[in-house]
Amino acid sequence: MIYLGYSEVDKKNIIADYRAEHGITKLVVLYPQSFPLPIDDADAVEYAEIIMYRTFYRLLQEINGDTLIVVNECLRTQNRYDLTYNCIRNFLNQTRHQLVFQYLPQIDTAEDFMILFDFATGSKWKREGFSAELIRQNAVVRVNPQAIAINQICVPTTEKTKGKYASEKEKLFAGLGAGDPHTLPRNLYLVGGADKAAAVDPFKKYVARNKRLKLDNIVTYDNVNEGDGPYTVIEFPHRFIEFGDFVKRANQTQFDVMIADLKIDQWYLERYQQWKERIDATYASLQ
Amino acid sequence: MRPTQVYSNTCNVLDAARRRVSFIFDNFEDIKVSVSGGKDSTVLAHLMLMEAKRRQRKIGVFFLDEEVVYQSTIDQVSWLIEDIAPDNVIPLWLQIEFDLTNSTSFEENHLTAWEPGKHDLWMRPKKSYAIKFAPWDREKQIIHDKNIGLNYYAVIDNFEHCYNNAAFTVGLRGTEHPNRWRAVSKNPVTIGESNIYWASPKGDNFAMYPIFDWNIHDVWKYIFEQKLRYSKIYDYMFKKGMPINEMRTSSLIHEKSFKSICELPEFEPKTYNRLVKRIKGIQFAQETGKSAKMFKARQLPKNFKSWMAYRDFLLETYPDSVNKHVFETRFARHLNNEWVARQQCRQLVLNDIGNFVPVESKPDPREELIAYYRSVL
Repeated sequence: MIYLGYSEVDKKNIIADYRAEHGITKLVVLYPQSFPLPIDDADAVEYAEIIMYRTFYRLLQEINGDTLIVVNECLRTQNRYDLTYNCIRNFLNQTRHQLVFQYLPQIDTAEDFMILFDFATGSKWKREGFSAELIRQNAVVRVNPQAIAINQICVPTTEKTKGKYASEKEKLFAGLGAGDPHTLPRNLYLVGGADKAAAVDPFKKYVARNKRLKLDNIVTYDNVNEGDGPYTVIEFPHRFIEFGDFVKRANQTQFDVMIADLKIDQWYLERYQQWKERIDATYASLQ
Repeated sequence: MRPTQVYSNTCNVLDAARRRVSFIFDNFEDIKVSVSGGKDSTVLAHLMLMEAKRRQRKIGVFFLDEEVVYQSTIDQVSWLIEDIAPDNVIPLWLQIEFDLTNSTSFEENHLTAWEPGKHDLWMRPKKSYAIKFAPWDREKQIIHDKNIGLNYYAVIDNFEHCYNNAAFTVGLRGTEHPNRWRAVSKNPVTIGESNIYWASPKGDNFAMYPIFDWNIHDVWKYIFEQKLRYSKIYDYMFKKGMPINEMRTSSLIHEKSFKSICELPEFEPKTYNRLVKRIKGIQFAQETGKSAKMFKARQLPKNFKSWMAYRDFLLETYPDSVNKHVFETRFARHLNNEWVARQQCRQLVLNDIGNFVPVESKPDPREELIAYYRSVL
């Protein structure tokens, strides 16, 4: 069974009800370091530990038909054939009792959801792409939709910043060599930071990629605390998974985002608006 | 002990495989089981031989001996043929002359397994009961590619053509890779009244895959529960901490398996000793088989500025004048960019005349990405 968008409290209640109903003798919780799900008598296994021989083979010996496996927020890579996913599937093949929890339904595209679907269905349809009909027929999905909204805050930049943007762009392309092309937008996006810092309201909280702006009310994505928000976004992270983690950690779905009048900021805004639309479309097809 | 994987609400994959084996015996007079000495074919051979014993029937156990294989593989196949149910076995151990690619040397780029006149260099003597000469009509012999001659796949095809309406069972598992799943399921057949989705037509015969849905753990569980012997190589590999997908027991020198040579001196020193004497390039492959700069061609050697320059150098200095045109003709059909050139380098260093590690010829994704960023940023 797959649960989308549920809180920690809800998850614990669902697990407790399931255990009581099915006479579960052992509970295994698989979780990434950033999203633990502490339960007193659970065998808690951190995501990075899953592939380790010392853990993998131990669990294969211990998991039986009376074991409940909770897969908590384990959508960490888009590779459906990832080794960790493969190990999780091996655990899940040994018991029919499994609960899959995930906050957002995908990292980037709806295809990511099929990783969760594979968990819940013994990987019988591992080669199938995303299909709402296939999912409806073969898995139970409970959805608590987290509708994301992105509100644009326009930040004008100085002529100096615009000049710096143009020169930095040429410098980055010229110096790319055999390097990773994805570093081009990542690095260019930082150029408008100083103008955004000048527009920061000292009474609000902000989130940025790193600490370079040196203001007390700006935290990095890694340092966001649950319930401390709402945060205003100074710049999006390049990877969707980081923003997804932020959405969950901050427990926030409405985002004010600073957008400078540079092409790169517009590019990132459109990229994230399309991401939000893809998530909305997945919710729509799952309900 | 881990439970066997569930196949449906009423049975597990072992029960399902036994039903499939029973179906094969019900519908075919002539049955062969192909073995490689690996864990999957060991399990399949055991399942088939147990059924043959129960029905007091005889089945062929087919092994194409590539000569340059682990001794543990030979020991395992000997056990399968000679010890499990000898009264129910027709041994089909093929030790005939055929060609193998040698990816480890440009000087000796192919090996003729069981080459006449080189008895003193053979990895081991032939089995007394082996089939020592090609059992098919040489005039009708199938050759897939004249550049590589009678290779492994051609021998298999020729051998299968010797039979009619026979079931060739293979221990192929779809869970290993989607391509394998595709091989199992793409051409289902109708036998009697039944639609069989775990078999495919093969000329006048059928290729059948009774354990196609087994997981790797189902295989090991069966071996443990039935107390079956298995190739020692798995134990060596396990102790070395090698990942499951790299635990292979196939031939030692072709394009996809040369990495095995790196560990060979440690696992089977005597086999390594004989292999070094048998064919050129073995010591070099043993030292460099896992290097990103050599056979894998993942890292550009420092003295070249681009993969295209490296490719041109390799092609220009390619030592085999007879086969050089094979690469030249093939590469002329490819796009000319860095992405394609890297793959061409890999083919050249592996001496992949048969195109077994093919080049995907398409525009360089990196160049496209840079052009996109230039237009939008």
